[in-house]
Amino acid sequence: MSELDKNPEAATDDVPPEAQEDPLYFAWEPKEGASAHIQSFKAAPEFQEPLGYPGELVDNWKEVALAKMEELRGKFRSFRLFLDICVKCGACTDKCHYYMGTSDPKNMPVGRQDLLRSVYRRYFTLPGKWFPQLVGARELTEDVLEEWYTYYFQCSECRRCSVYCPYGIDTAEITMAAREILDSVGIGMKYTNEIIGKVFKVGNNLGLPKPALQSTLEDLEDEIEEDTGVRVRLPLDEPADILLVTPSADFFAEPHIDGLIGYAKVFHATGAKWTLSSYASEAANFAMFIGSYENMRRIALRIRKAAIDLGVKRIIIGECGHAWRAAYQFLNTLAGPFDFLDPNYPVPQHICEYTWEAIQKGLLKFDKSQNDHLKVTFHDSCNVARASRMGDYPGGQFEIPRNIIKAVCNHFYEMPEDTIKEATLCCGGGGGLLTDDLMELRKKGGSPRMKALKQATEEYGVNKMAAICAICKTQFSKIMPMFGYGMDDIMSLHQLVSNAIILPGSEQEKELMEAEAENAGENAGEGEA
Amino acid sequence: MLTVLYALLYYVAAIIFVVGVAKRVWEYWKTPQPAVIPTTPAPVTRTGVVWRMFKEVAFFESLWKSNKWIWIFAMMFHLSLWLIIIRHLRYFLDPVPTLIVLAQPFGKYAGFFFVLGALGLLARRMFVPRIRYISNPSDYLMLLLFLGIGLSGLGMTFVSKTDIVGVKAFFLGLMTFNWQPLPTDLPVLVHLGLVALFLIIFPFSKLVHAPGVFFSPTRNMVDNPREKFRPVPWLPPVDEVQYDPPHGS
Amino acid sequence: MSAGYYEVNGKQVPHDEEGYITNLSDWSKELAEVIAKQENIDMTDEHWEVVNFLREYYDEYQIAPAIRVLVKAMKKKFGPEKGNNKYLYELFPYGPAKQACKIAGLPKPTGCV
Repeated sequence: MSELDKNPEAATDDVPPEAQEDPLYFAWEPKEGASAHIQSFKAAPEFQEPLGYPGELVDNWKEVALAKMEELRGKFRSFRLFLDICVKCGACTDKCHYYMGTSDPKNMPVGRQDLLRSVYRRYFTLPGKWFPQLVGARELTEDVLEEWYTYYFQCSECRRCSVYCPYGIDTAEITMAAREILDSVGIGMKYTNEIIGKVFKVGNNLGLPKPALQSTLEDLEDEIEEDTGVRVRLPLDEPADILLVTPSADFFAEPHIDGLIGYAKVFHATGAKWTLSSYASEAANFAMFIGSYENMRRIALRIRKAAIDLGVKRIIIGECGHAWRAAYQFLNTLAGPFDFLDPNYPVPQHICEYTWEAIQKGLLKFDKSQNDHLKVTFHDSCNVARASRMGDYPGGQFEIPRNIIKAVCNHFYEMPEDTIKEATLCCGGGGGLLTDDLMELRKKGGSPRMKALKQATEEYGVNKMAAICAICKTQFSKIMPMFGYGMDDIMSLHQLVSNAIILPGSEQEKELMEAEAENAGENAGEGEA
Repeated sequence: MLTVLYALLYYVAAIIFVVGVAKRVWEYWKTPQPAVIPTTPAPVTRTGVVWRMFKEVAFFESLWKSNKWIWIFAMMFHLSLWLIIIRHLRYFLDPVPTLIVLAQPFGKYAGFFFVLGALGLLARRMFVPRIRYISNPSDYLMLLLFLGIGLSGLGMTFVSKTDIVGVKAFFLGLMTFNWQPLPTDLPVLVHLGLVALFLIIFPFSKLVHAPGVFFSPTRNMVDNPREKFRPVPWLPPVDEVQYDPPHGS
Repeated sequence: MSAGYYEVNGKQVPHDEEGYITNLSDWSKELAEVIAKQENIDMTDEHWEVVNFLREYYDEYQIAPAIRVLVKAMKKKFGPEKGNNKYLYELFPYGPAKQACKIAGLPKPTGCV
């Protein structure tokens, strides 16, 4: 306890944000071992066991790990195929933000995959059994497990590599499998696994019990009333038409909570009957990060139960990137079918889909000038961009959030083309890496995005970045000050909505009507003259 | 003697190739892919997926997005490989269909581009530090194998002309189990030996990327997880599950 | 840092890898001073106000309050000058939630925060 050197900010001050892709493929020597020292805390037995994993490394870890690998390649075509068909073409090598930020070749997507592929080849392929040296096959040892733990927890499962791979190999699939293998032999990550246990027990990542949640929501109702003069409800566990499931950070952190206020105002303005649930008070599903279908399902089932118990017709998910993937790609599969809900709506829906539909129907009124002091850009969250959709056409996940921002802001600008939409760069904290003990990696991994943001700032004077992901928001509020921005320069998308929305019967509406009347009077006067 | 050796070699190679690839395809076919995981934005219809896959295998769309250098060499290599394969069909078909006759001049000169493409890919592996890092000996050997096939083939066509009619007779004989003598000049033996080796290693190596890409779930799935319910085969149905109790109960 | 002990009045108080005490009942004002010193923080009245508020809130709700709730409480007590986010970060540079919780002997807030 003598060392005070764990101040992550001090440890990373020397990282310049100059990392970027290197499409010409010339310079850029990889620095072997550059991030080998970055390792997150491992889970103590108390955090492993509730998830059904051994508390510590089991004696026959080798057999267990290989048996798990065999099981996974029988269960997931992605895993089996991706291990087989990589041709080492190198297309992915400069695409990972952690590689860009660290230059460690094991953070190149193919480098990361090879950590496991080399073992797979040794035990599951003929050439690897006969000529291990020839095909880069290696034995599974305890050192290999340690290496896996280090580098598979330096991947944010953002899928950027899968965009550029000619065979669509998605390193996230390999990372998830590797984490599942590690967990099955008793090596788990403290951050993810402690949190999953909290969801099983309390219902959310934070461990926020119902009375605390109730009290927080009442506080927010008071706050909105002070600001607008309108009592906007944030109902909890009430029978309703819409169940809103949102990341618990929305009840706790800044700027997340302003997004929650934004959702509440939208629901209020559209006259929706909605509710939150204390049982399913978490949209995040960290079990996805560790590739565990069983644990992922346990969390997903809470949403199903809450929907049944509260008798809702629709499920809407709040702003959260991986949660939207967990909901969009996995909720139906793991906890469906949802045939008891209103078939006129997709299950689940994203809050942005709801808000955009309300805007299109003319249900919401905005005073865009409320956001005039902001020059806003939008950060596409990786899981939303590359693992989901909004609306009924491909790419809706890019357009709908931008449409909303343009409806509530006058000044919107894009970051460079190769860093947005499907090419978006991860914030650096996704995939279960949003923990203080990985701060050095988070800063380095976030540096490519920060570089892109700086370009937008220099070119257009952008001073705020909006996001629709709880992890992105927390990560940016932490790292943006390291790159010369303020911690509040990251905003919730629905915070922008909240700023501009004019609630029926509010002070803002009165002011606006008076101003309009005045204008009309002046215009009339001019007309007479 | 050499005729017997090469005849047997080609029977073995053909069997290994066909059975091996079929086994791989069968494995990919039967392994479940429970979650819908296309890399988005992804097509929302089957037709859309076919179009996406076509762009991927015909134009290497993703590689184009990634890196123009690799794209050029890969395109050069694979396109000429196709032309060469089509041209080579003339040695297995009698009479030769018109289409293949038409392809003849293109296929003939494609050999140069094939070698050029392979050289480009080899240079990338040797001189780009990041790619050197990820390359195993087998990755170099594979390219050398292609270079060997290409150069020996070009040698037969443009340097010392081979008794190509004899070669055709040999292969037609193989297919009808009526063996004919193989012309035994060196380029032919090298060329055919390396091609047989290629057929043998194909199913056990990264070369399975060719059939494999069609099974890639990030490319071949329709983006419809909300619209279509697909249960996970190994999990119990949802009405048999137990829910966690609420907090504090 | 790794898991270990804080020394308080000759007594050993165990903490986890990140410095959060393992048994919440081990907390004392002396311990808070020890942890604060580790964190390079000199405890002033304002620091104590935050720590005390966190502990009271935790007593009632078994969780630390949202930053916003904390800000409001500080505003009530010290006025708007000190009742804002920025000031809280001046008090606890590594984040009022995490760092103040550590000193207050409360578990670390987990999740996307």
